[in-house]
Amino acid sequence: MAWFIGIDIGSGTSKGVITGDGEIKAYHLLASGVNYRMAAQKLKEELKAKAGLSEENVASIVTTGHGDGIIPFSNQHVADMRCCAKGINRIFPSARTVIDVQGQSSQVMQLDDSGQVIDFAISEICAGGSGRFLEIIANVLQLELEDIGPLSLESENPVTFTTGCAVFGESEAISRVSEGISKEDILAGVHKALAGAVFALVNKVGLKEPCAISGGGGLNIGLIKRLNELGVQLLVPPQPQLINALGAAIIAEEQAVQ
Amino acid sequence: MTKVVILDSDEKILASVINHTGAEHRRLANKVMEEALEQAGLSFDEISCVIATGYGRITVPFADRQITELTCHARGVSSFFPDVTLAIDIGGQDVKGLKIKDGRLLDFTISDKCAAGTGRFLEIIADALGIKLEDLGDISLKSSNKVSISSTCTVFARQEVISRLSEGTPLEDIVAGIHDAIASRVARMVERLRVGPDILFTGGVAKNIGVVRALEANLGCEVLVPEEPLLSGAIGAALLGKEITLKALANGESIRKGERRLDEATFFK
Repeated sequence: MAWFIGIDIGSGTSKGVITGDGEIKAYHLLASGVNYRMAAQKLKEELKAKAGLSEENVASIVTTGHGDGIIPFSNQHVADMRCCAKGINRIFPSARTVIDVQGQSSQVMQLDDSGQVIDFAISEICAGGSGRFLEIIANVLQLELEDIGPLSLESENPVTFTTGCAVFGESEAISRVSEGISKEDILAGVHKALAGAVFALVNKVGLKEPCAISGGGGLNIGLIKRLNELGVQLLVPPQPQLINALGAAIIAEEQAVQ
Repeated sequence: MTKVVILDSDEKILASVINHTGAEHRRLANKVMEEALEQAGLSFDEISCVIATGYGRITVPFADRQITELTCHARGVSSFFPDVTLAIDIGGQDVKGLKIKDGRLLDFTISDKCAAGTGRFLEIIADALGIKLEDLGDISLKSSNKVSISSTCTVFARQEVISRLSEGTPLEDIVAGIHDAIASRVARMVERLRVGPDILFTGGVAKNIGVVRALEANLGCEVLVPEEPLLSGAIGAALLGKEITLKALANGESIRKGERRLDEATFFK
């Protein structure tokens, strides 16, 4: 039987999925580090080991993501939006809008009934509109990224960031710390700021429900709640970070069938 | 930075002090003022008028008046260069373009929502490259092949710079690319305010010769830099203070807000 690999090299984390007969056989995540080629190679080996497969069992490999393009063993490079739409369509066939919040960019896609992207809006020139903003503030507060979402929900008095700029936001967070403002209130503020930037993208393409979230941002309950407050109800996949890699593997599989 | 300038009635500078503002020092404008008075050999009571300007102007409890930095800058740069028609001010956290005629502000543009193009951008890049802010200018002048920086965002540009460095791109070419990135952004920003070639560049970033040259290349004309570009606003404020005082004296009024006491700002925690 033929197996297919999808690899998504993100700015922070690299993700891989092996599928066969439309089912996920194995998945793996690792830090991208500074050498994307090495990360991709290691990911492929880990996936094969987890699935108990050898090289000749793998029919084709589709790659995507920020660090795509320099992966030597890729059979095809596919744009991340197409992979995201494909992955979301597999998990939530009813979804008509997808919000994808990544470490370096955010994008909102509108999908047609067959899961094809028909419109999109993207924020990729400004760190303030991406998950990077959260990472920067987590760093100021010396917290792990996975802890900031739940902590932000404990705030009763979110701070207001005066600009959407991640650099100025970092300085503001430092000032608030020195004024004795709680971590929770600062975190609530940054989550609101990012949710606002993402919501602006949603408004550009128009919200068609149901709406799903994908990417590392989908792991953050703080961001999800703030988007809910703005009127965006979200379908959250079990492993939102894996969606693009899953979509890449499905694309590999579909092309083999044709 | 907090700057204090004391002028006499002949507009001669008796004292000028530049000090870090910082989070804690914002409320300590009184300390900088003390230093300036000492330099001038004056007691506070001898000062006829105190004008506060800049982002922190409301944090100066002993000022007689507050005047916006745009008005003060326009006045200050015109005193250095009466024919100026456009002043470009790049500070630590914003970029301003001021269209000026006869010392008066006609129009302006400001970018303060994004760190790109500001002094902060340079600070972050200098830090990433492991070099001192004040060395950027001279280093960039050695470049003959500047890199093109594709990111506008400071966070992403920092990452881009680190990648270039790891690929072995010469430092001077990276720094020259960064200066060009700032200059082209600022040149686009002030384009609609340009009426002639009399352009003056002020603010802390004007001390960077690399940015001065890059601005000249992007604007296609010479750019003048005052002797102490950090003091334009404070000098303008002092000159406006003199005008206000003379007008008040002529009308037999007093502009003094009360007893001269060097209090620190009290509304901070």
